[in-house]
Amino acid sequence: MVVAVWSGKLIMLEKTKNIAKQILEEKKANGVLGLMKNQRDIVQPHVFKRLPELDALVLEPKWLLAKLSMSILRSSPEGYRLAVLCRGCDERALIELTKRNQIEKENLLTIGIACSQEQAAICLCDRPYPAKVDAGEIASGVDPFQDERVREFLIGNDKKRMEKWANVLKRCIKCYGCRNSCPICVCEPCKLEDDVWVQRGDVPAEMATFHLIRAFHLSDTCVACGACQEACPVNIPLLYLQLSMRKTLKEKYGYEAGLDPEKKSPILSDFLKEPETGREYPEWINSLREKDGH
Amino acid sequence: MGTEFIKTICPYCGTGCGLIIKVKDGVAVATYPDREHPVSRGSLCIKGWSAHEFIHHPDRLTSPLLRKGDTFQKIPWDEAIPMAADKLRETAAKYGGDAVGGLSSAKCTNEENYLFQKLMRMVFKTNNVDHCARLCHAPTTVAMAQTLGSGAMTNSISDLAGAECIFVIGSNAAESHPIIMGEIYKAIDRGATLIVVDLRKTAVVQNAKIHLPINPGTDIPLLCGMMRHIIDEGLYDEEFVKARMEGFEELNEFISAWTVEKASGECGIDPGLIKLVAETYAKAKESAIVYCMGITQHACGTANVLAICDLAMLCGHVGKEYSGIYPLRGQNNVQGACDMGALPNVYPGYQSVSDPAIRDKFQKAWGGELSDKPGLTVTEIIGSAGKDIRAAYIMAENPALSDPDTSHVLESLKALDFLIVHDIFLTETARFANLVLPGSCFAEKSGTFTNTERRFQLLRKAVDPPGNAKEDFAILCLLGSALGLDFSYSHPGEVMEEIASLVPAYGGIRFERLERGGLQWPCPDSDHPGTQYLHKDRFTRGRGLFVTPEYTPPKELPDADYPYYLSTGRMFAHYHTGTMTRRSPFLNREAEEAYAEINPEDAIHLNVKDGEKIKITTRRGSIITTARITKRVSRGCIFAPFHFAEARANMLTNPVLDPLSRIPEFKVCAADVRKESQDDER
Ligand code: SF4
Ligand code: SF4
Ligand code: SF4
Repeated sequence: MVVAVWSGKLIMLEKTKNIAKQILEEKKANGVLGLMKNQRDIVQPHVFKRLPELDALVLEPKWLLAKLSMSILRSSPEGYRLAVLCRGCDERALIELTKRNQIEKENLLTIGIACSQEQAAICLCDRPYPAKVDAGEIASGVDPFQDERVREFLIGNDKKRMEKWANVLKRCIKCYGCRNSCPICVCEPCKLEDDVWVQRGDVPAEMATFHLIRAFHLSDTCVACGACQEACPVNIPLLYLQLSMRKTLKEKYGYEAGLDPEKKSPILSDFLKEPETGREYPEWINSLREKDGH
Repeated sequence: MGTEFIKTICPYCGTGCGLIIKVKDGVAVATYPDREHPVSRGSLCIKGWSAHEFIHHPDRLTSPLLRKGDTFQKIPWDEAIPMAADKLRETAAKYGGDAVGGLSSAKCTNEENYLFQKLMRMVFKTNNVDHCARLCHAPTTVAMAQTLGSGAMTNSISDLAGAECIFVIGSNAAESHPIIMGEIYKAIDRGATLIVVDLRKTAVVQNAKIHLPINPGTDIPLLCGMMRHIIDEGLYDEEFVKARMEGFEELNEFISAWTVEKASGECGIDPGLIKLVAETYAKAKESAIVYCMGITQHACGTANVLAICDLAMLCGHVGKEYSGIYPLRGQNNVQGACDMGALPNVYPGYQSVSDPAIRDKFQKAWGGELSDKPGLTVTEIIGSAGKDIRAAYIMAENPALSDPDTSHVLESLKALDFLIVHDIFLTETARFANLVLPGSCFAEKSGTFTNTERRFQLLRKAVDPPGNAKEDFAILCLLGSALGLDFSYSHPGEVMEEIASLVPAYGGIRFERLERGGLQWPCPDSDHPGTQYLHKDRFTRGRGLFVTPEYTPPKELPDADYPYYLSTGRMFAHYHTGTMTRRSPFLNREAEEAYAEINPEDAIHLNVKDGEKIKITTRRGSIITTARITKRVSRGCIFAPFHFAEARANMLTNPVLDPLSRIPEFKVCAADVRKESQDDER
């Protein structure tokens, strides 16, 4: 069994290397962003440019590359094309970034990697694979709402849950790691650096302004990659903050961030078109329309 | 060229988190956390995330500078190095080698510190080498060496997550060591009890189960009261004490005077609460004590640490996993600077300069005579500048801002015949130099740092030093050679091999072995995996020793003229004297100007509003700063961070020294506070 898992992983790695090799050989991209393990066993992100380098390519650990690829593309000369190794969350993040005009689609190639079942369980990921899988076996999605800790924070007695949230959020040391590592957090200027909302020089950061602003800003873009939570030095379950909103969008509007590049978020979409989703306006909408002169 | 990612270590605190620096065409443009780092595991605090920001700052020194009257003139290296060598040699020839003082640096690598102390000791036959550990953890080194035999954190940072009870005393880890605080939170999430002793309502306090706001400087009464209760109730680990300790009778007798009621009278904590805390600490299966400057920066700093060691040993909470004593080191390499013998009384590896056998070993290895007379400490070197000390070499230290009673320090620096400052910015101290040597920052060199849990870690060069600035290692080699030493090392790794050959505990440390995750000393040979916790079956000194902690109340207490307690410390976005953090835009925006915290009730009494100017005066001098009104400080207390050159909190602090470790009393002094009125001249 263990052998089977291992050989599966090896096949996946070889497949990935071949695709990367082909991309470089055919000059489809100037570089391939992935993970490199050097002779000394150190793993770090790396832009592979030459074929022999690809021997050092690895796929583990989970290391989000979407934001890095954006910053590389942005600071590269025109016409620079980058290929990037993508897990499901990476691909979804890249799609969201493209939708927001942060990345030019033409300059980006993706090599899709499916996550293992263990990884999906660690991430509580409901879609542990990209739309385009180039290597790896597709694992089944995990429903985060079955997780006990998630339920403690998101389901049941409001007062108790509020207490729980207050207790963890007051640990925040305002490292900005959640924002820095989130692939979709790209606004400039960032609201979390606005004195109106976030007091300078003070820790912990305010729950209502810092954390809820961040959560709501990402309500319709969060791809549940968990990077924020993984970067948090004080173990605040930041991903959970997003889960309910993601669920609502999916169940009520049939919308999931990062899936369809053409589909606009319901928050951005034209309000008037909403009945197409089968929902009705309330009566008072008409009075608004008249007032606005529509 | 193009984009590269370089793994290295954070230049700020002693946690030693793993960073990845993104380099684009030779410029460090971003910092990311290292997911594989054994301590930080993919997280960083705000300082770590901003570590690249000061690297290419326009204020960086790019050429050696020579003082000409009131200005500095750029000179080439081939003038600077001979001049530095000549001036130091002249001084030594005229006044003797002990007229030269050297301040090494907790910001520099192990190899640089090693070379620095070797240079001072070999060329000038003096032991006048010290560094800023004196100002933070000298009492730790002294007291823990006496009781346990080793002055380092007994366990590993990750052990904290497994403790059942964590007793934090005099540390605001949430702001000063946030990644370590993360481990404490993990313990809490597993049901551990957090007890915090602090005057201020810090972020740590807000997450604690029990808070003990003791009167300033009364840590010993509290700890002694706890020990008395633990002994009275038979809660101490009798077996452990019998098998592994000595000095219990003496301790017991000493402690008998400290009834809980008496302790309570001194420290102001309800006797019931003292008892509860004592029981919680003693009864837990694994208890950890975490402490920092709030314990050490007192005139009785060493005794404070002794009391902590006594308590831990009494309950058998040392020498096993998840328990132990955790002094949190402030600077990234303060552990390493101590380890490398940048101290006036010991060679590398805490080997005493006055022990003839040891001196002999070093004389043979280094090929020259060495002095057996312990040298002067930082405060003494500065204090006798212009008198016994005529010339000084200061490497990457900023005593003009960091030392107590700074107005006195400035006078002393001026009084020197020749001052060489080797740094990356023209610091407040460098402004007084005759010769300034432009060095390298953490991202521009290779070498090792040792974090607060004794972990040797590899620093990797990401970018070149700016302009004509050089790697510190290269500067030391040039200077050493100019002074007649054989400093022909080609790489810091060679220096590490020399260190390993001279210090048994670091015998197995080699650069190749540090690539992945580093190694925690002791690591005596090349197969040894490093040591997660010390004192396992045997203390470093053999049996553990109980030493009685004599109580001396703070030297300066509030009175009618100076009615407030003033305490100094750090805030989360800045670091020490601010030379790096205040030049990092993202950090600086958190606190652009000096401030002092003051309680709302005191503010009403003084008629001060938030953001208004106040004047804080002590017997040493006064500063004008901005009031920040907060309940974090209790009534009658003022807290001033010391990062700001324009309002030097250390201008105010009391330079009285702890007799044993010679640390100054930064944490308590008496002050007067006034609203700064507009029409007042200055
Ligand atoms: S999980 Fe966190 S980091 Fe990932 S997209 Fe959502 S908010 Fe951003
Ligand atoms: S990562 Fe965690 S500690 Fe850092 S700012 Fe975000 S919530 Fe706060
Ligand atoms: S905790 Fe210390 S070592 Fe870690 S990132 Fe912050 S300053 Fe750097």
